Amino acid sequence: METLIINGNEKQFPDALPDTLADLIEQLEVESKTIIAEVDGRIVECDNFGKTKVTNGQKIELVRFMGGG
Amino acid sequence: MEKLCIADRQFDSRLLVGTGKFASNQIMSQAIEAAGSEIVTVALRRVDIENPDDDMLAHIDRDKYLLLPNTSGARDADEAVRLSKLARAATGIKWVKLEVTPDPYYLLPDPIETLKAAEILVNEGFIVLPYINADPILAKKLEDVGTATVMPLASPIGSNQGLKTRAALEIIIEQANVPVVVDAGLGLPSHAAEAMEIGADAVLVNTAIAIAAEPVQMAIAFKKAVQAGRLAYLAGAAAQSKQANASSPLTGFLRND
Repeated sequence: METLIINGNEKQFPDALPDTLADLIEQLEVESKTIIAEVDGRIVECDNFGKTKVTNGQKIELVRFMGGG
Repeated sequence: MEKLCIADRQFDSRLLVGTGKFASNQIMSQAIEAAGSEIVTVALRRVDIENPDDDMLAHIDRDKYLLLPNTSGARDADEAVRLSKLARAATGIKWVKLEVTPDPYYLLPDPIETLKAAEILVNEGFIVLPYINADPILAKKLEDVGTATVMPLASPIGSNQGLKTRAALEIIIEQANVPVVVDAGLGLPSHAAEAMEIGADAVLVNTAIAIAAEPVQMAIAFKKAVQAGRLAYLAGAAAQSKQANASSPLTGFLRND
């Protein structure tokens, strides 16, 4: 089974991995316009989510702004 | 009143506000408006995949407020640089409030890692506003590497203790060639006024407004205090003395002795 490490947690994909980062984010039901991703330590801007292929075992960080001082 | 200049930007307001700890995004947004702020800080965190809630950025008018991402949570220079780059990628802006706080109890900033991160970030084109302890030597070193401000703490973050570092703040203000923004620990409008009276260029307030019973009213109170403190500084304070100095004439009393 294929897996991704998303925000530090292993997530398994019994059927198939999403094709791109945009597909993954859609599957997770996260609003994509306001998030920023890091794939294996490389920053991916939201404009490029659709062009970024997702592969087995990748470490993906999805971050966004929260209230802070 | 004259404007606050940071890097290449000018601001009318000298009150920066943080967006943490508000009961709701609506109250946060109203409080920012009431404070009259033009710079608001935000933090970058992992999305809660199981429970992705309301996006707070939707409640901040980016045309009206300069978003100042912080690097809170960073424990060393590398983490702070990573967070800064993520924030820049997310917002397209290169301003960052640099925070490196390895100690979870007092959240005191690490001077060595902060200086290291500041140097890297300035070289990469960031406009860096570093959160520091009230250390005049560190403040000068940060200024020398090209930070846009220094942001010394009044007392530990969220502690509401006021200006515990006043003597050191006065030295920093005296020596600085970049704006001094007193950050952290300002619990009351009078604390903010005091910081402005001693010549701080601006202050940053979050907790004291966010967790007040009426955050919008408290935001107004801080706005007025910052303006009052600035005016008092510009007006030039009268000197203190140990003995009394009569305000009324010491002649013409209604007696004959």
